[in-house]
Amino acid sequence: MSKTALRAAGISLAVAFACGLAGSANAQLVARKDISSAMALTMAETAIATCKANGYNVSAHVVGRNGEVIVAMRGDGTGPHTLENSMKKAYTARAQRRPSGDFGDAIKDNFTAGALHLTNITPARGALPIKIGEDTIGAIGVSGAPGGDKDEACAKAGIDKVANELK
Amino acid sequence: MSKNALRIAGVSVASALACGLAGPADAQLLTHKDLSLAMATTIARATIDACKAQGYNVSVHVLGREGQVLVAVRNENAGLATFENSMKKAYTARTFARSSGEFADGVKGNPNAGALFLTNITPARGALPIKIGNETIGAVGVSGAPGGDKDEACAKAGIDKVAADLK
Repeated sequence: MSKTALRAAGISLAVAFACGLAGSANAQLVARKDISSAMALTMAETAIATCKANGYNVSAHVVGRNGEVIVAMRGDGTGPHTLENSMKKAYTARAQRRPSGDFGDAIKDNFTAGALHLTNITPARGALPIKIGEDTIGAIGVSGAPGGDKDEACAKAGIDKVANELK
Repeated sequence: MSKNALRIAGVSVASALACGLAGPADAQLLTHKDLSLAMATTIARATIDACKAQGYNVSVHVLGREGQVLVAVRNENAGLATFENSMKKAYTARTFARSSGEFADGVKGNPNAGALFLTNITPARGALPIKIGNETIGAVGVSGAPGGDKDEACAKAGIDKVAADLK
């Protein structure tokens, strides 16, 4: 290999490393898919309708990739805290990329866990991350049913409703 | 009138006065009608669709009697501020029981109007109160169209959609 070729190879490697830190090798824009408001509405309505069918009044939030609220719905006859709680559960599921209840289980014996003391984090079950494969693009949170597992079942129904489009 | 009868009459008057402070003369519960989530969702969807049909992407809030959020929808194609703005417009329309634009017109010549400095109040057109007769039971706020009058037209379309049920 000539000296020039070696130098060129070295530069290429250096560039690849530098860009690697920022994402793809060519420093191109990040391509992402995100939840539309139409899809979020469908999920929230389905979650609330599912809980209603089970006999529970619930509120629901769908948050996006950055935890931003896409849809919020206050269920008829729900406690005033449920809207906030559904948001915090959803935010937690998004941030933790797992069900908020799984996060709750994981830090159950460690109430000084730092994550517990961040804004909008709650260890309460009732929210699921919304994923495309391994990419978490949002979350849906539910609050109002008598038990986080029952909230979570409705959240799952909401995601299932649009499962075919999550790709 | 016997002494006993006089005493009873005195107690009744005292009771009536005491109860009068707490509300109606009989201190009975208030009866009123409120927006359901289903109706609020219908209003929000019709509002978004009306603006969409004109080529405008808008975020929408539907608030209830106490200014509480019933439905919130963030439009992925609208500006970031539209979500907050639609809430503030709706809150303004709810609390002043008239369109947020009329409120704006009312304070236009008075930058020191106290109401302008309350939380969640905005002098921006684009929200209408939701009424049963003269009673305001909520509001719908819209933001994202190029002009508050255009936002307001969509809000009107949303309310018109459920007008037959507002009684």
